[in-house]
Amino acid sequence: MEPSNKFLIQEEEVYSGALSCRGCGWALLVRHLSSILGKETVYVVPASCFSIIAGPYPMNELRGTIVHTIFAAAPATATGIRTALDRQGKKDVIVAVLAGDGGTFDIGFQSLSGAATRGENILYVCNNNGAYMNTGIQTSTATPYGAVTTTNPNSNIKKTWPKDLMGIIAAHNIPYAATASLAFMEDLRMKVKKAKETEGFRLLMIDGPCPPGHKTEPDKSIYVARQAVESKLFPLYEVEHHNYRINYFPSEYVPVKECLRVQGRFKHLFKDDSEEILNDIQQHTNDYWDRLRLLESHSFQVKN
Amino acid sequence: MSNSSSIKNKVEKKKKQDAKQYNRHTLKILKGNFAAAEGAKLCRTGFIPAYPITPQTTIVEALSDMVGRGEMDATFINMDSEHSVFAAAMGASLAGERVFTATSGQGLFYAHEVLHAIAHFRLPIVICNVGRPSIPWNIWSDQTDSLSQRDTGWVQFYGESSQEVLDDIIQGYFIAEKLDLPVMIVLDAFYQSHTSENVWVPDINLIDEFLPAKEKTGSEIDVSNPKSYGGLIPTEHYEKFNIKFWQDINKVEDLTNEIGKKFGDLFGREYSAVEAVNIKPETKMILVTLSSITTTARGVLKQHPEVGLLKLRLFKPFPKKSVLKILNHVSNNCIIVNIERNFLGDNEGAIMHEMKRALYGSSFKMYDVYTGLGGKDVPPSTIEKIIRKTFNAPEDVVWIDFE
Repeated sequence: MEPSNKFLIQEEEVYSGALSCRGCGWALLVRHLSSILGKETVYVVPASCFSIIAGPYPMNELRGTIVHTIFAAAPATATGIRTALDRQGKKDVIVAVLAGDGGTFDIGFQSLSGAATRGENILYVCNNNGAYMNTGIQTSTATPYGAVTTTNPNSNIKKTWPKDLMGIIAAHNIPYAATASLAFMEDLRMKVKKAKETEGFRLLMIDGPCPPGHKTEPDKSIYVARQAVESKLFPLYEVEHHNYRINYFPSEYVPVKECLRVQGRFKHLFKDDSEEILNDIQQHTNDYWDRLRLLESHSFQVKN
Repeated sequence: MSNSSSIKNKVEKKKKQDAKQYNRHTLKILKGNFAAAEGAKLCRTGFIPAYPITPQTTIVEALSDMVGRGEMDATFINMDSEHSVFAAAMGASLAGERVFTATSGQGLFYAHEVLHAIAHFRLPIVICNVGRPSIPWNIWSDQTDSLSQRDTGWVQFYGESSQEVLDDIIQGYFIAEKLDLPVMIVLDAFYQSHTSENVWVPDINLIDEFLPAKEKTGSEIDVSNPKSYGGLIPTEHYEKFNIKFWQDINKVEDLTNEIGKKFGDLFGREYSAVEAVNIKPETKMILVTLSSITTTARGVLKQHPEVGLLKLRLFKPFPKKSVLKILNHVSNNCIIVNIERNFLGDNEGAIMHEMKRALYGSSFKMYDVYTGLGGKDVPPSTIEKIIRKTFNAPEDVVWIDFE
């Protein structure tokens, strides 16, 4: 039988044998990402799950070049590589940072802001799984309200809202930023292509499934990712300079608790006396969506 | 009238002599920081990531100016911190560019993590560090910053003069690119960085003869030949990298002497890892110095024929062979006095640590003198005091100007 040409990935740019956990988002993300960016790409990876997934010395899961760098300075490392490649006339080579949420929201935040402000010609991809998963599930500033981690254990759940990184990065007035989900692959691929074709600093924020960290079954990864979008916990949208565009409007109302219920890290919220926290999360989610709608309605009315 | 014209003649004659001595040079009056910037320009560095910090700032300002005027073909980027400066330097060097930057004190401390990464990525980056200490805030001359980074794997040179700083940058790139090791050139804050001196600036074609364009090693980022850099390394492979590093760092001292001589042949100024001044078999005391204190001590020595001077130009890796070679001919009764413009929170300063290591098994009596910390002036009178006091000091660690 002839292979179907309906496969999304036509050119496989990774080797088999990624060292990810079962149901991890990284492996799927990087397969799609690399198939679009092509082999002539330099990936810059700060300490993260992907440092491990890419394979230990002397292996490399990617067919492209990979530079493992220090946790706090992947965008700065990428800046140096970009500069050198430009000086060598290789302006078409993509320099892509693959970072986790800790490396983006926390320790790499300043370096990220610096590179975004300078308008470095870099594609930044954040696989946001909402905690330091590689070190064993510690709280980051991307960890959702109400979640349990090893540094917010038992009843000491996280009681602060995650940092609005998308809002912050949009405030840098960069040409392209977008959220994307592995449950909406065509939307994700469209955004990777768009980011690839845009010059300047681009950022993609991916909702990263993590069975060991989220306490989910590996076969539920895509389901949870879809529920996050359907419940508006993780809205799909793009920001070009200061202009917002929502890419997906859920057709039916899915309460956030439907998405949280299947994740063990929120199971304490489904015991007695936790209704208030669930309501808070629902309210916060509604407010964020309303704000996005408002931002969208004001977008593309003024010329950049 | 005739007297002043004869002085004029003498000056002219001296100028001509000097000009002859340094063929294919231009005599300029430069502050140390500008000599450093001049050195980076003449070495045709292609990338300068920068972040301001006193007293280094005028180095990167001067370089930014040179790039802006089109005097050098380099990319200058204002980074967001020294941590990012060194990370960007690392990225560009991985991709094969010749990179330069400068920092001081807190900036170097902040970059500490990246210093290790650069050294162990084996990147031939050259930087200038203008020495200053840490908290409480102090911006003045002190070598605590660079000396506390001695274990990061960087080669360290301490320049006695602005001329030496410029010359060290040129030789630094040669050594760095020959051995794939990063090199730090250290100069004293203000006494050097902001003080004007006569500096013979070599013509760029002379430098091109000595330091050709950076050659490709094959390890650079090359998208047509993809590689993985710095990935997790299993224990069975890890040591291989360290052994290779160790083998190459062991070559630095000899290479420093070898190319210092070659530099002398071409430029007229010869250099070596260490310099012995007035050290004879009967010498009673040897002062061990770094940077500009050396110059002060040279002057004082004229009144003290019994005292010698050991200037350490290369500090890391410590030039043990050269030190032993000099001390080999000195009587065991000779006292060694290390002059420390650094405080590492330890009983002894950095020079004493290294000298003791180098002289393990010998019977030299060794003293350690803390002086000039946080930029305190070390005038000839202090050197005199060091000579007088340590001849009969009851303690082997002395704070000389603090009574």
